[in-house]
Amino acid sequence: MAAEIMTVEVAQASAAGLKAVGAGLAVGLAGIGSGLGEMGIGAAAMGAVAENKDMFGLALLFTVLPETIVIFGLVVALLLMFQ
Amino acid sequence: MVQNSGGPAPYIYVSTRLRVRKAKLLPPEEYQRMLNMSLPEIIRLIGETEYQKEVDELGTSFEGIDLIEVALSWNLAKEYQRVIELAPGSLKEFTMAYLRRWDIYNVLTILRGKMQGMKEGKIKEVLIPAGSLDRTILDRVLAEENCERVADALKNWKMYPTISAELSEGCAIGSFARLENELYKRLYADLLQIARRGVKGGNQFLKFVQLEIDVKNIKTLFRMRGDGYEEDAREFFISGATFTPEELQQMNQMANRNEVIDALLARIKAKALQVALEDLRTEKSEQEVDTELTKTQLDHMEQLSKINPFSIHPILVYLEKKKYEVVNLRAIARGKESRLPGETIGKYLVI
Repeated sequence: MAAEIMTVEVAQASAAGLKAVGAGLAVGLAGIGSGLGEMGIGAAAMGAVAENKDMFGLALLFTVLPETIVIFGLVVALLLMFQ
Repeated sequence: MVQNSGGPAPYIYVSTRLRVRKAKLLPPEEYQRMLNMSLPEIIRLIGETEYQKEVDELGTSFEGIDLIEVALSWNLAKEYQRVIELAPGSLKEFTMAYLRRWDIYNVLTILRGKMQGMKEGKIKEVLIPAGSLDRTILDRVLAEENCERVADALKNWKMYPTISAELSEGCAIGSFARLENELYKRLYADLLQIARRGVKGGNQFLKFVQLEIDVKNIKTLFRMRGDGYEEDAREFFISGATFTPEELQQMNQMANRNEVIDALLARIKAKALQVALEDLRTEKSEQEVDTELTKTQLDHMEQLSKINPFSIHPILVYLEKKKYEVVNLRAIARGKESRLPGETIGKYLVI
């Protein structure tokens, strides 16, 4: 059985591997989520800026707001990798 | 040009652009200011708004009221063409279908203008080539002398069968009212057909078309009652929405105004329209009823555009509001030229 042949080294290696997968998922899924959010905001922001150039600064700010979610993902990933 | 690819993004982009454009339209207080100004002051003010480009371009060829008329028409046509370019996917088809009403307006303006012996240049000033008939075709129609040749020039127009059937009679009696009725009935039948074809977003377009038919029918009903028209009026009503022409004809024959309003309220579902109909229980002039219903239609469209933010509704609200901005500016300019008092002109404005 697998449990019987698993040594301490193998267990440590698979734990490190799962941590890396978890860190990857945290950043990756957060990135996809923000991307989806930014799609709508970005399209609306472009529409607003095309009509009124003064809105550029505000539109840019709103467009990057969902990036905060990626930062949460990144923090979780860093915690996983370096704790 | 925005294509229908990339999910909802093109719809969001276009809806936002048109919302910003709608926000740039003249606010109500600006009309109130204009009512207290003289014609040259109004021209100067219009020249400082979104119409600046047209006023500057045409300033050398026209002046006074003519300059306003041409600048407003050019701007409206340009704006409509721009919206067609922007609209993505099926929304483009709906927008183009909606704008086909300007073909009817242009053809009837030319026919009526010619019947009254107006000069070609004068007729051309008020044409708005926003539909499927472009300037070249309209110029050809404008250059034709008799009715048969006008019909020939419109051979490729979608509504040619209707115009060829009705035009000769209209020319013979010198009135195009019947032709106008038939053209609008055909237009609404086409719009309903397009909306019901099962294309994505068609349901929203259907809501708009049915609302418009309802409002048009109710306006016609009140006009007829105002004029005391008691004969068979079924041909003046448009079918395809809440009421059939037969039901509206029955309402036209009812003796009491309240009875008519009750009959309408029993079937109308739109809240805004219900409130407006309740308001009509007190006697009002035809003009007031008309303006009231138009405002209600715009309010209801505005609500629909908020319920469905990325549909055809934001586009249609902008197109309609832009049209009424031009109508209002034209009314103010014409009224000022005729030296009408501000309060009288104010009654004709849709604010």
